[in-house]
Amino acid sequence: MHQPRSRGSAAFALMAVIGLIASACGTATSPSPTQTTAASPSAPAPSESSVLVTPLPGANGMTSDGRPLIRWFVGLGTGERPNHIGVEQAVVDKFNDEHNPKSPNYKAGNKDIVLSLEIYRNAVAYDTLATQIATGNAPDVIGPIGIRALQSFGDQLLGLDQYIASSGVDLTQIPQDLQDVYKLGDKRIGIPMAVYPSFIYYNKKLFKEAGVPEPPHKIGEKYDGKDWTWDAVAELAKKLTVDKAGNDATSSSFDAKNITQYGLDSQWTENDARAWSTVFGGSGSAVADDGKTAQWPDNWRAGLKFYYDGIWKNHFIPAKPAVDGMAGGNTFQSGNIAMDVVHLWYTCCVYPAEGKAPVSDWDIAVLPTGPDGKVTAKLHADTIGILSSTKHPEEAFEVLQYLATNADLTQVYGAMPAVQSQQDAFFKSLDDKFKPLKIDWDVAKEMLLHPDYPSHEAYMPNFLKADKANKDLGSKLWTTDGLDVDKEIDANVQTLQGLFSGG
Amino acid sequence: MAIGETTRDTTRAPSTSRGMSLATRESLSGYLFISPWIIGFIAFTALPMLASLYLSLTDFDPRRPEAIHFIGLANYAKMTTDPNLLNSLGVTLRFGIIVVPLTMAFALGVAMLVNHPRLLGRNFFRSLFYMPMQIPIVASTLVWIGMLNASTGWLDLGLRAMGLPAPDWLNSAIWVTPALALMGIWGIGNMMLIFLAGLQGVPTELYEAARVDGAGRWASFRRITLPMISPVIFYNAIIALIGTFQYFTQAYIVSNGRGDPAGATLFYNLNLYLEGFGYYQMGYASALAWLLFVIVLTITVVLFRLGGKWVYEAGGVR
Repeated sequence: MHQPRSRGSAAFALMAVIGLIASACGTATSPSPTQTTAASPSAPAPSESSVLVTPLPGANGMTSDGRPLIRWFVGLGTGERPNHIGVEQAVVDKFNDEHNPKSPNYKAGNKDIVLSLEIYRNAVAYDTLATQIATGNAPDVIGPIGIRALQSFGDQLLGLDQYIASSGVDLTQIPQDLQDVYKLGDKRIGIPMAVYPSFIYYNKKLFKEAGVPEPPHKIGEKYDGKDWTWDAVAELAKKLTVDKAGNDATSSSFDAKNITQYGLDSQWTENDARAWSTVFGGSGSAVADDGKTAQWPDNWRAGLKFYYDGIWKNHFIPAKPAVDGMAGGNTFQSGNIAMDVVHLWYTCCVYPAEGKAPVSDWDIAVLPTGPDGKVTAKLHADTIGILSSTKHPEEAFEVLQYLATNADLTQVYGAMPAVQSQQDAFFKSLDDKFKPLKIDWDVAKEMLLHPDYPSHEAYMPNFLKADKANKDLGSKLWTTDGLDVDKEIDANVQTLQGLFSGG
Repeated sequence: MAIGETTRDTTRAPSTSRGMSLATRESLSGYLFISPWIIGFIAFTALPMLASLYLSLTDFDPRRPEAIHFIGLANYAKMTTDPNLLNSLGVTLRFGIIVVPLTMAFALGVAMLVNHPRLLGRNFFRSLFYMPMQIPIVASTLVWIGMLNASTGWLDLGLRAMGLPAPDWLNSAIWVTPALALMGIWGIGNMMLIFLAGLQGVPTELYEAARVDGAGRWASFRRITLPMISPVIFYNAIIALIGTFQYFTQAYIVSNGRGDPAGATLFYNLNLYLEGFGYYQMGYASALAWLLFVIVLTITVVLFRLGGKWVYEAGGVR
């Protein structure tokens, strides 16, 4: 009696085990980036997945039919939005068409290359790339990627100088200062692809309400008969800071606990003390020329003090709680900020995705002269890099050149092309976007000529921890009243020194 | 055939098939049934644990896998001088000391309320208190962040309307722990449910006998309810303490994954995450994970030892 039931149980158990294992290992739910069995390897995956586009099949840098395979990894910076993916795929398809000797559209002189696109959500992209490198499955080309993000993988990137020299690529259309942003010591690890200078976005309606003139659009112009310096900005910002009762910050009746409108902000600076120091103090570096000594230059100290006093003493810059309460941190979009120092990429977000825009009339102005006597426009820039583990460095460089100078990509990213000849078309697209407003884009072009160098995102020893230390300082200044700024900076320099020394 | 032989054949019958006894075959069937779990445990728990033990003895950085070195106990030695580790332990312990008793007391109080026979709509209130558990933790934390905003949050608006000081909950190193405690109290649904089950298991005869003997409500609670539900209290205490050391999501969201303000939300697990996935110090992060394992194991063992003195079990105290 027992035997048949036992056999039945065993058979059932066996089927259950096979079924469970099979369902657990099913390809439909596997997030593996190297999965190669999908019917359409390059098709966008469902939006909830962290892998938005899976790569083409291949092994050891070759396709199954023996052609060199270059994998392009997207997700470390911009490039993951739904409207990006279609354009990126089209660029890749065109590249493959022009680099396939069997294609009718093959261009003579092009190397035989298969370019494979893989896109990850930004939240998982860094860990995914680190894991791919750790498992010997690294992509060849990564980007678009910003200056700070590039530092995370800086020593894994290929030096480009020899390939630039051998390919005869023309960089004369890219200003030298911009090219130098992507130097890691003596090694050039990227070619500028997209640039985002910073300047002042201002809300014209608030200026009219306050009865004050608009800020200058050209470097050297006076404001209300005075030099355009941060002191002049502070004076103006106080007039534009208003409390609940309608008093501005120059009034003796002003109630600093009930402010409804602020004169100045530098939004989305991510608490970064280096960034705020640069905005209000000019170019500088937390690392001395010897590359190992921590420092905080005097102009950066002056910049941070201006910023700190602007929040806690003069009340024309919002502290974090106030920022969080304005359109979820998008302060200029809320309509309650008169002047905002932000980068060109902010053209993405002046208006809300839905509903009526609180800011309907705005323009841009130049930044003032800093405490170092210079005009400095903090610069963000995106590039494409090549991992040194690539099996096909020359082919990867050909891909890099193609992508870094592709106008379709910079346009869809909302980025100002680093290549000057492509810039007018870019600004024309912005004019179309913001009709009927006439934004003075010459301001952006002029600010691009005054980038911060060294960059506020430049390399520091023990970069990731040092970067966090600077953000810890920024965060403390942004949220805490009554601090001695010099003391805080000195403590941070000490922390940085410990980190630079390997702590 | 002799009687004796017949008997021998009968007793052998279960082991004739492939030489296995019935018990062995049943055991094998059992193992076969649980083999998906065993395979999963080995592949996804045991082997990664062993791998992390090995990694904790190295300086592994996933960005530079070729540069891995065996460094012995250096990662464990580093812990003794790591200010972030000491801070994260302090933050976690402080949070545990405040939140564990508070949430347990609150959950027990609510469980007693919704267990009261005279409460109208008991099931409605039970569902209501359990409802926060149905909301994804990320969503609920984001809502709390909005509620606790010092400028526009409902809580501070209410406090100001009453003329009370309104703290900057999430940006003050002093107030952020109470803010997280508030979130914790809101999410007592599971604990309440377990207490409720415990309360419903207390025989009503005990209360009736106590009433006859002249015992008041407090005496009944202290002398009957607490001892009778002590196993449930013990269970909840262990789960809550382990949960404290696993605390991560709320701290990550509130501080943008950084431990702000001023390191006041740098919980142990957040620090571990930052070391492993923020700074790519996988070797050191593995060592931190093993320290966490040892800490939680020690606390659990100590609690079990202490539990023997006060936890009631039917048939005698443990």
